[in-house]
Amino acid sequence: MALLESRQTRDRIKEAVRHLVLLCWTVAVLFPLYWIASMSLKPPSEALQLPPNWLFLPTVYNYLQLFGEPSFVSALGNSILMVSASVLLVLLLGVPGAYVLSRYDVPKKQDVLIWILSSRMLPPIAVVIPFFVIFRTFNLYDTRIGMVFMYLTINISLVVWVMKAFFDGIPVSLEEAAMTDGATRFQAFRKVILPSALPGIISVAIISFIFAWIEMLFSLILTNQRAVTVSMQVFKFIGSRSIEWSMLAAASVIVILPNLLFVVFVNRYLASGLSFGVVLKE
Amino acid sequence: MSYGSENATGTTTSSVGSRLRELWNDYLPVWLSAPMVLVMLLITVFPGVYDLYLSLVHYKQTNPQQIGEFAGLANFAAVFSDPSTWHSIGVTLTFVGGSLALETALGFTLAALVTNVSNDYAREFYRVAFILPMAVAPVSLATIGRIMLNSQVGVIPYVVATYTPFAAPNFLAEFPLATVIAMDTWHWTPFMFIIFYAGLSSVPEQLLEASRVDGAPLWRRYVHIVIPYMKPVIFVAVLIRLIDLFRTFGTVYSLTQGGPGTATQLVSIQIFQTGFKYVNLGQASALAIAYLVGILVICNVVIRYFGFGGVWD
Repeated sequence: MALLESRQTRDRIKEAVRHLVLLCWTVAVLFPLYWIASMSLKPPSEALQLPPNWLFLPTVYNYLQLFGEPSFVSALGNSILMVSASVLLVLLLGVPGAYVLSRYDVPKKQDVLIWILSSRMLPPIAVVIPFFVIFRTFNLYDTRIGMVFMYLTINISLVVWVMKAFFDGIPVSLEEAAMTDGATRFQAFRKVILPSALPGIISVAIISFIFAWIEMLFSLILTNQRAVTVSMQVFKFIGSRSIEWSMLAAASVIVILPNLLFVVFVNRYLASGLSFGVVLKE
Repeated sequence: MSYGSENATGTTTSSVGSRLRELWNDYLPVWLSAPMVLVMLLITVFPGVYDLYLSLVHYKQTNPQQIGEFAGLANFAAVFSDPSTWHSIGVTLTFVGGSLALETALGFTLAALVTNVSNDYAREFYRVAFILPMAVAPVSLATIGRIMLNSQVGVIPYVVATYTPFAAPNFLAEFPLATVIAMDTWHWTPFMFIIFYAGLSSVPEQLLEASRVDGAPLWRRYVHIVIPYMKPVIFVAVLIRLIDLFRTFGTVYSLTQGGPGTATQLVSIQIFQTGFKYVNLGQASALAIAYLVGILVICNVVIRYFGFGGVWD
């Protein structure tokens, strides 16, 4: 009896210690996010007060300022347009390719997969130099089409790897059944396999969106004005002295917001997506 | 009767149509994968070959009449005789090694702790909260860092000065590299956490139960059962993170631009500055080629040493 009680006490202490450590990390994770969000909602005169004013009347003043800035609005529009277009395109290219890698006897399949992964090993700075020269030659410098293409280089290997893992997990008998019913192979792929892989497609689309959305190097080198992205625009704010800290905070919140929403809503799929499907069997 | 042939009823146009349909069906895998393969060739072979070409010619904007002239290995010689290259390599290895070690250890510890939390809601809360930093863009991370670490108005120096006996440190000036590593750890430990968390929940309960009955101490349970079982998962997480750490640019560039001085000058930042600030694309490409080879060697050693075994079925 005493033994049992002491074990229960010990378990309870363990659990308490566990929560203590985890709460410390929770604070470390959430505090910076809270800090930047609260700063963006304070009037500039209060934003930098220390000790901070914990109870303040939130104001959208900084956001109004920010959206009154034409360069920021057009950069935001550019990012939304270019990133969405590139995600659509990367799915159109990557999903059928992944299907072939999953279902057909591709010669040297393992090498092909490593080759595809190796495009992720190329540091973006090494990729961007040749494309900088080419873009200059073919008038693609500072264009939206050029940036849409550059985003492909970030995401295509991810899409192929994750989707291959997803297709591997869908039984071949599904297509076989559709084909016995008279569908062609392509119809089976389009009407049976694609819908079953939809959760994977959505998660990989979102992860691709995030990776392109936060990209800065390509924008820094390949854009100037017309195709500037929102990250680059925020970076320009950091560089200039005249910008208010609170406006900078508001701009950063705008950049973080879509990702944050995605992460909260699709966090269940994130693990499988990010780990290239290795821990898919969870 | 397959769908494909039901329209083939004699007229020339529809027989062309059915011919095309046949071609489509017979070579389906080719059509489906051709666009991907073309783009892959364009984004892997083209930059590699073009970088190699640029690294072997003079391409200095300040010297336009020389552009395109064969340079032999002069660009490589120039890059490697420059002590700042070796300095950048040292900075990069410290940054990658330090961040990878911290993120792996912290990510695993947090995942193990959360897995063992008994309350379902608390576990769910930690899981969602802990992955939030991944959503932060490098440029926003730099903003957060600059605002919170600023020696005059930053909250962290303020807390240190007010609640500890130490003076308010100026993190980015006094310990720039350590600060950058710490910020990367904040940013990307979530990645390790979420993968390890998924991996840990796939460790069979019977294995753990058996060792618990044996009365094995906690650390032995992890060292002898959990970690070996999770080896493929750990391997993939470390490999992906390793690759991505070598690619780091935006976070560090928008936080410090490589400074103060060259204290946080990663190789990728040096390539950027050589190519686009000093407009010497020849030397920038030489360094990029050397960097790429270095990364491929390191990644291949990791892959050979730890093996892809268990990763594919």
